Order: sequence, then structure tokens, then C-alpha cells
Amino acid sequence: MSDAVADKPQAITSRHDARYKVTLYEHVGIDNAWTLDYYLEHEGYQAAKKALTTMQPDDVVNEVKKSGLRGRGGAGFPTGVKWSFMPKPDGRQRFILCNGDESEPGSFKDRYILEDDPHQLVEGLMIAGYAMSATIGIVYIRGEYHLGYDRLVSAIKDARAAGYLGKDIFGSGFDFDIIVHRGAGAYICGEETALMNSFEGLRGNPRMKPPFPAQAGVYGRPTTINNVTSITSAVHIIKHGAEWFASMGTDDSKGTKLYQVSGCVNRPGVYEMPMGATFGELIYDFAGGPSEDAKAFIPGGSSTPLMPFTDEYLSAPMSYDGIAKKGSMLGTGGVIVIPKEKCLVNFMWNCVRFYAHESCGKCTPCREGVATWMPKMFQKLVMGRGEPGDLELIENMSNNIKGTGFCVHADAAMWPIDASIKYFRDEYEYLIANGVSKYPRTTWWKD
Amino acid sequence: MKVIVNDRELDLPPGTSAIDAVFQAGYDVPYFCSQEYMSPIGACRLCLAKVGAPRKDRATGEWILDEETGEPKVFWFPKPMATCTTAVMEGMVIDTKCQETKNAQKSMMEFTLINHPLDCPVCDKGGACELQDRAYEYGEGVSRFDFDKRHQEKHHALSPLITLDRERCIHCKRCVRYFEEIPGDEVLDFIERGGHTYIGTLDDGLPSNFTGNITDICPVGALLDATSRFRGRNWEYRHTRTTSTDDSSGSAIMVDSRTGRIERIKAARHTRINHDWIDDGTRFGHEYADAEDRLKTPLIKKDGTFQEATWEEASAFISDKLQATKNVGVAIRADATLEEAVGAAALADHLHGTYDYYPKTPAAITPSATPATLDDVATSNALFVLADVTEEVPIVDLRIKDALKGVTPPEPMAHGIPIADLRLKEHMPKKTAILSVAAPYQVDLMKYAGRTITYSAGHEAALLRALLATAKGNTADVDGLSIDQNLGIDQNLGIDHELGIDQDGLSALVKQLQDNDDAVIVYGGWVLASAEASELANQLAKVTGSKVLPLAPMANSRGLEVIETATGDVLEDASALILSNLNPARASHFVNHRKTLDLLVVHDTFMTETAELADVVLPAKTGYEKEGTVVNLEGRILPLNAVPVDSGTSEDFTGLVKALGDAMGTRLAGRSVRSARRALKETLGFDLADLPSEGMLPENLPTQHHGRPASSEKSANAVIVPTMSRPEYLSRNPRLQIAQGALALRVNPADAHKHGLTAHERVKIDVSGVTRRLVIKTDERVPAGVSLVPAIAEQPCGLARVDFASARPDPVMPVPPVQTDAGTMTAEVGD
Repeated sequence: MSDAVADKPQAITSRHDARYKVTLYEHVGIDNAWTLDYYLEHEGYQAAKKALTTMQPDDVVNEVKKSGLRGRGGAGFPTGVKWSFMPKPDGRQRFILCNGDESEPGSFKDRYILEDDPHQLVEGLMIAGYAMSATIGIVYIRGEYHLGYDRLVSAIKDARAAGYLGKDIFGSGFDFDIIVHRGAGAYICGEETALMNSFEGLRGNPRMKPPFPAQAGVYGRPTTINNVTSITSAVHIIKHGAEWFASMGTDDSKGTKLYQVSGCVNRPGVYEMPMGATFGELIYDFAGGPSEDAKAFIPGGSSTPLMPFTDEYLSAPMSYDGIAKKGSMLGTGGVIVIPKEKCLVNFMWNCVRFYAHESCGKCTPCREGVATWMPKMFQKLVMGRGEPGDLELIENMSNNIKGTGFCVHADAAMWPIDASIKYFRDEYEYLIANGVSKYPRTTWWKD
Repeated sequence: MKVIVNDRELDLPPGTSAIDAVFQAGYDVPYFCSQEYMSPIGACRLCLAKVGAPRKDRATGEWILDEETGEPKVFWFPKPMATCTTAVMEGMVIDTKCQETKNAQKSMMEFTLINHPLDCPVCDKGGACELQDRAYEYGEGVSRFDFDKRHQEKHHALSPLITLDRERCIHCKRCVRYFEEIPGDEVLDFIERGGHTYIGTLDDGLPSNFTGNITDICPVGALLDATSRFRGRNWEYRHTRTTSTDDSSGSAIMVDSRTGRIERIKAARHTRINHDWIDDGTRFGHEYADAEDRLKTPLIKKDGTFQEATWEEASAFISDKLQATKNVGVAIRADATLEEAVGAAALADHLHGTYDYYPKTPAAITPSATPATLDDVATSNALFVLADVTEEVPIVDLRIKDALKGVTPPEPMAHGIPIADLRLKEHMPKKTAILSVAAPYQVDLMKYAGRTITYSAGHEAALLRALLATAKGNTADVDGLSIDQNLGIDQNLGIDHELGIDQDGLSALVKQLQDNDDAVIVYGGWVLASAEASELANQLAKVTGSKVLPLAPMANSRGLEVIETATGDVLEDASALILSNLNPARASHFVNHRKTLDLLVVHDTFMTETAELADVVLPAKTGYEKEGTVVNLEGRILPLNAVPVDSGTSEDFTGLVKALGDAMGTRLAGRSVRSARRALKETLGFDLADLPSEGMLPENLPTQHHGRPASSEKSANAVIVPTMSRPEYLSRNPRLQIAQGALALRVNPADAHKHGLTAHERVKIDVSGVTRRLVIKTDERVPAGVSLVPAIAEQPCGLARVDFASARPDPVMPVPPVQTDAGTMTAEVGD
């Protein structure tokens, strides 16, 4: 047993590892990388050709399953398993729906794929579509991503003209085409069932599950919904093989992932790193370290519970399991570093207003709790009108909201509040006791 | 499936929702968003409960057992589950009494109440409010929310009939789902999002025939019936469950009255007819019963003027006159009860006269083919509709839409209709392919039909003959079918166009009817207007193995066929007339005929044109005030219960029979409801006094029909069309009239131009000898050369000739303006 472990090469868990190679963002930031010519010069559409001409659909699904790829949209459901939920083809139209409605605060990884490397997404959709015998791919793209939309549409046009989309691709007999749909600015439309409603032209409310999208999704037809990065990861899994992908990361989190850093760091941006790298590596080695004293950071987009900016948390590996052990979630990998001199209650008020504004209003706890009562409570606190008992009321309300909403929006709004009270209760108490913040508001912009 | 709710074990079929399991077990959870007959959505989150279920070991397929007890181990779900959207599982355990469940429900109630105004003391729903009841049972009693509540519009007129208080809305989405799922008219939706969400329409008003139902299902006082707003508190109302005599559906209604007035009508549940829904004509068409100009005492004409009298004086006067008269005609309207008909027949018999009812169709309502019930319609997989059902019998329209869902209507459980029927979903695709609709113009139901047939008016028989020939395999005959020019309105368009369908279409439709055992042919007044067309429709049903559902013109048209009827036309032949609720005086020939009559007695609720000509006028009860029995279009016998309305000395026809009998010194059958029922017991074989509240559907109802031939209109240019609201009372139902518009002559804009008519013009116009008061409406959907005239009892569905040259401006009838939340409104006036 121990021999076997010794024989197995050590998994890549750091970008400093010499074996590590950037794949998803290889061409991001290069001029004209979004053109078909550039893409073809760089092994473009070879993975799709390999899948369509040499593999059976089930082989593709198995390859993705074997790679251990987990959904990159935040929930981390194994992508291959999700693909295998699609029923056997029965003559009905099937859809592969790509969720490009990237609206989680702190997340901006898909944006640069859409803007700088849209062909990668087109190729990924072809592979995913082939794996699930879905002949129509839909990209639901965030409305604000105008450049990404333009580049993606022209990429699809070019691919269609060059025969990479359309009938009988690569002579495999497989037909595939892509529809691009722009969102209208609702965060909730990133939730998969609300996204389907929105795509169909209905109000962007989450739908009831079951039936799950694989049984009855878009227009009641079998549908699989994946994040942009999950789909583009499939390109590289097919190109380099599942073993290559699985050679990176930890036991439960395989492969390579895009991490985003924003807040008070010297070099905010998107960094591709293997799963299992630490926050310390991301923030200090790549993002240039904090630009001012930091007290906390959000690990994966604003809906994940924040963590104190201490070595204990910074040394945690960025994997699904690793962060869960610290009481938070990997989410989208959107790290926000919070400076020490900013009031955390004020910071949370900003978050609370965001979730209040984005609640769809369908279910009671979210409409009345998340969207009405909670922002009023925070407004009261930041205005200096807080009273003893308010904090307990917020905690109690948060308990009542969590786990009772129709979709996960209500929970997602409460997790960061809970964590902020857990780690920075003193700031809340100071504000309530004194009517002014421990860290009074300074100018927003650095000199 | 074995399910345990608290301490009770149940055996339930798969697919049952957990909330129904709870109610079945006799326990309770609060809920606002679920509603019988509609899809569960899990929005209000009130019905949260701790739920668990045993699990099977993936490897062995055996239940995972509890190590201590050896029983299958219950794995509790990590979060409380919304029981309305959770299906029961084998061995599921639902705990509605534990602290976790109670906390969840209490906190949801707190959230629901934070923005709900404390309006209860002035709210019309107070005392009958689901939120009020549930807040008492499950709420905390104290609010921790010390901020301003949401302020929104308090009196938003969604339509002249419905007012929305946006502050009271708790966003259960019942009304939005209702419109989408029940009538299919998507006229309401949520606007904005989050805490700002409110209900609204994009266009003005609610263009649907079924809007009032949202006031019944609203769990709070947000959506209110404008005819009854601020008129009384719920505990002051007397609730009378009865059957609507508005149309032939026999819909169950709950009439709420107070101090001798009808204040509102709500839908009552009838699981076989109208479920929980009624149309707007039925709901809002009651204001006439409390109109100020109702007749309340008998009137005797002396020296050309009417003088008030008692019933004794009036009946003595009539009895006196009748002694010298032979050939008395007794005629009632076809929404009279069976008991009244017995009385009328007995009276005519005693006077050696004839009894008859109007309108009477040339063809029998009782079909010769297998009759369909409304449930047959709702479960059918092939429907052929030859009528404008949405106006004629609107409930049939709703039952057709039930069939389009592809889900059979839910059967009642021990606690009633399932609260959450998990087979129903939001935005379910409608199975439009099963529905074919034929009509001489564009009718509303065509929006939902996979096959639409717009034939030229009057060609019902030709269309049915073509279908029958196709069904019998004589397709060659179809091409050779000649169209009788005298029968229909000829537009010289060729056979396919006259029928609105080609041979392929005919064959496909016939095949659909033949292939489905549950096929139903629904036909209305236009087919019943021709004995030939009706016979062909029944033959087509027999050949294709379909059932038929004829749409009877009035509430008891089917039932009056139980009582033997006269041949001929009483109105033409008799020399003395006793008319109940009939108004033939708008026809000029009746006015001439009147001069030859020895006696004219009019029994009516209002001073009509005919009553003006009468010797004696007797006050009549409306359909709400009667006790009795009617037979609906399926042949279902249904009870009418009397609503206490202050209508002076008004009597129904049995009361008239008693008064006349007393004056003549005889005891006639049908002198009371009880005596009529004694007579009916022999005909029907059972006592109507024992009728259950939902009525009964006897296998064989004795029927006789002596059809009155249709007035043969040689050069027709108009179709008499059904209307949802009762035309004779529309002008006394001001709010309904504002919402629906006055009775209209609908013409193609080109025709209006040709005849020099302008839209919204009020005219008196001659329609086949009857002077009608109508408002001109131009409508692109009306075929050129054809105009549409609403049917009245004296002018039932069929063809007619509008004499455009006779159109004269009609002075505006003074109708009091109505104060609505949209402002002061005055109705357009017609008939």
C-alpha cells in the first residue's frame, strides 16, 4: 500500500510546481486571441475533432467523470456525473446550456474567456453537446458583458462559416449550433432554473425541482447546465486526458481552476492555479500581497462566509474540502481581501443591499427577510441608531431565513452575515454601543 | 405508500403531496400559495415541516436499519421541507408538532406579516381571511419589526369589477397562476422584484371572462369584488348555496345576502361541474336583483294606467277575464324551474289551454347519441367544438382547458380536493392538438385549438354533412355537396372556403374522433337552431364513437324537455296569454297581435315593453330567490335554494299558480314547490326533496321534444351569437356592463362604413322583425357581409337579417354613473 503511494507521482497543488501548465487562460490577454485564425494556429478545435471522430458520447462522459472535474459555478457538483443524468436520447430536442451570467460579486473569471478566448467555449460546448447528444447549445451571457457578447457572437459566426458548427461536423454525423442569449441584469438568473425561465422569456424566478433540468429543462426538454469554466475545462480534459487533469489538485478537488483576487491587493486579477494551492500562495505570490493591512477575506465570491486574514486561514488549501473544513466554501474562487481600516458592518451593509436588490420576491423569507427586514436592520446599525438586542435579532432572523427559502439565494445572503458576526462581533457591538463605527468612513478612493 | 404523520399511519398512493398526507391524517399546517385545482409552487413557505424518510443501501438494496430498534432508520432532511412540493415516499415521516416545525412556521408567519397592513377592522376579508385565521393559530402575536411597512397603492382598479389593495398582497401568486392555468388568459403577473414585487397588468383591465375567481382565491383582502366592497362584514352575510340560473352549466354559487339584498356571489365548489370557478356573468350579474325599479306588487291596468293591487285582487281579476276566454296560452322562460313548469302545465291544462316555454330550439337538447358529462369533456383526448363556448356556457370552456392540461381532474380525498396536486406544474404545455374549434367567426377558444375551422355562417349542417360523409368513407360525396343557398350566408367562396376546411382537414378531424374512445363533440345554439344539423351532429358522434354535449340555451332548457310540451307557437296562436319573464313586444308583429288578445298577463321582475301592454302585471322572483330544481346541460338535476331578497310580494310561477287556483277555486298541481315535486315524483321516479346538494345525474331522464321550427330567414346577413352575461338584465348590472361593454352589433369596419354606421353609436335597429337597441362595434375579426347580434330569449342563436336601413339613433337611456376605483364611470347602454 505504502509502495503504491510512493510510486504515484505527487499531485500538483501549486502553480510553482514545474509540471504545472496554464491551459484555460493560456491565450487570455493576447491580441487577436479571439480570432478563429489565432485559435486554429494554437491547436484549436483539435479536442472537439478528437471527441467527435474517435470517441463515443459515453466515452466523453466517462473521461470527464474520470478527470474528477467539479462544477466551477460554485456548487461544485461533479460535472461528469451531471452529464450522465441526461436520459437516453428519445427523439426530443436536448440542450446544453452554458451559464455565462457571472454575477457573483468578486467573480470575473468567465469574462476574460468570453472576451479573449471565445472559441474555447464554442469548442467546449461542442464536446459537451456531443457527449450528451444535445444538438443545440445555449449561452446565457450576462447582459453587461458587451464585449464578451460581441466576441462570442463573431466567434460563433466564424466557426459556423468554417464548418465547425452546423451539420455533420468533422464528418461525424453530429449536428451542433449555438444560440446566445443576453441576460437583463438579474443576479438570480444565474440560478439554473431561474436562468431557464429567463431564457424562455418568463419571469426570472427559480423553478421547482424535481423535475430536474435533465428530465425537463428548457421548454420541458432534457437540458444540462454548466458554468463557462466547467465547459472550457472539458476541452483540456479531452485534449490532455483525464489523467493529466486528475494529476492536479487534492483527493476531492481535481484539476486546475481560475481564482480571482480583488480588494486591497497590489495585483488584483484572475490567476489560474491547480486546486489545492493555498490562499497565501494566491494572495502573496501572485496578487502581490495586500496593499494595506487586511483583516479578513472572502474566499469564493460574496455569498461565501468570510474568513479572518490570519495564517491559519491563509494556509488553507483552496479545494472544496479544504475550505469547508475552515467553515466556508470555495464558491467561484472569487477572493476579496478586506482592509483593516474599513468598517465591516458597513461592508456587510453593502452585501446585504446587494442581496436585497437581487431577491426575486418569489418566496416569503427572501422577499420579506432578505429583501426587506435585513437591509432595514443594517441601515439602522450603520446610521448609528442600533440598540441592544439588534444583533441578536439579526442572528435570529438569519437563523429563520436559512434553510427555509425556495432557492439558495436566501441562504447565500445569510452566510456572510453569520460569519461577519462570528469573527467581528466586536465591530458590531462597538457600533451599537457608540453610534459610530470603530473604523469611521474615510474617502473611498486612495490618493 | 406507508406514510407516518406524527402518530398516525396512512396508506397513500404515490405522487400524493406531503401536505395532503398531513391533512388526510387530520393534522394541519398553514399554507397560502397552494390552491385546489392549481399547481403547487412552494412560494409562501408556511407549510414547512420536519420530514424524514428511510433510505435503501445502494449496494444491497435493503433498507438501512436502526441499530437499536431494528426498524428502517429515518433520515431527517437537513432542512424543513415545504410539504406542498414534497411528494410522499415509502416510509416517510412527517412531524408537524415538533419544535423545529413550529419555529419554521412561526418565523414564516412573522415574515408574512411584517409588510401586511393592520387593516383587519376595515378589511372586507376580515372574518373570512386565511391570513387572519392562520396568524391566530400560528403567529406570535407580537411584532419585532419596528420599521415602516411597505406603502403601495390601496385602491387599484384592476378592472371595473376588481379592486386590488397592493399593501395587503402577500405574493402567494394564486391569482397569477389562476389566469395562466385555469382560463389560460395570461393577463396578470408580478412586476418588479424582491420587496418591491407587486401584482399588475400591462394593458388596461383584465380581458377575460373569468376574472372574478381571483377574488375568491385571494387568501387576504387584496383582491376584492368591486360590487361588494365595503358593503358588509363576513359574519353579517347570510350564505346561501344554490345553483346559478345564468347559463345552462348549473354552476354552484354561494350567494351572500344581507338585510334583503344580494351583496355578492362567490363560486361554490361543485366537483363535477365548475370546481371552484364561475364566469364573470354569473358572479357580477346579480345587481339587477336589487334594482330600484323592480316590480314589487301586482299591477292592474284600469283606464289605461296601472294601479297597485294585491295578489288576491289581481288573480280575481284574471280569473274573471279567463272565464270568457278560450284558447289560453301559458308561456314561461326556459330558466324556470321544473316545479314552475309543472305549475304552468297544470294551469294550462285546467284552462284547456296550451303551455309552452321560450326559447325552444328546433332540435331537442337531449341528444340521441351518447351524452357526455363535463368530466367526459375534461378527460377527453379529442374534442370537436362547434360553438362559441366561452360566451355560451363559459364553464364548458374551462373544462375544455382542463382537458388541454393532459391531467385528469383530481379526485376528492377524505379531506377534500388535494391541496397540492403534484401532477400540475406552472407553465405546463397545453395539448392544443386535441382540440378542434369551428365557428362562423374568430372565437376566443380558437387561441387554444390545434385546428380551427371558420365556416361561413349558417353552414353548420353542410360542415357536419361533409364530416359525416368523410366518416362513412364517402369522401367523393363531399366534393359534390351542394350548399343550400337559403340555409346560410353565401359568400361565393367555393366549397372549401364555405366550410372553412378542406378534405384533408375533414379526414384528419374524423380520424381523431374515431381513434379516441373518449372523443366528445360539443355543439351549441347554431347547431340546435337546425333540426338537421343537430341530427347530423348526433349521427357523426354515433359513427365515430364519440359522445356529444349540446349547450342548452338556458338554465333549465334541458329540464323542460322532461315536462310534456305543446306544438306550435303559443305566442302566435293563443287568444289570451299568461307570460312569465318573456318580452315578445319588441317584435312588431306581437304588438299587432296584442290587439286581438282578450287578456295579457305578464309575470316579470321589471316593467318590460310587454308588461307595458299587459292587462295585469305580476311581480316575479329572480333565479336567486326561487326554490326548485333545474337540469343542467349534462342532464344533472340540481337544486335551487332561495336567497332572502327583499322583493315585495314577488312570487315565482308556482306562487302565481296558487293565487290563480285559489281565485278559481281549485287546487292545481304545482301550486307550491312541494306539490310540484309530488307530481314530478311520478315522472322522475324519485323525490326531488331528497336531492343531494351536488345534485344527481340520472341515467335516463324522460324527455319529450316538440321542436318549434326555426323562423326561416331567407336572406340572412347576421348571426345571432351567445353572450356570457344575461342580455335582459345587463343594463341593470351597471358594473358588469362597464366591464363587458353594452350589447353590441358587431360588424366588419367595411360594412359599418357601407351602411353609414360609426363605432360606439347607439342605434335602434330591426333584426328579423325584433327591434333591438344595440351599440355599434367594429371588429376586424367579423367576416365581411356578416354581422353579429347578441342572442336574447325571444331571439335565440341562429341566423337573422339586420335591416340596416331601419337603424335610428337611440336616445341615451339614463343609467346612473358608477363610482369605481378607476373613477366615475357610465355604462354604454344597449337593449
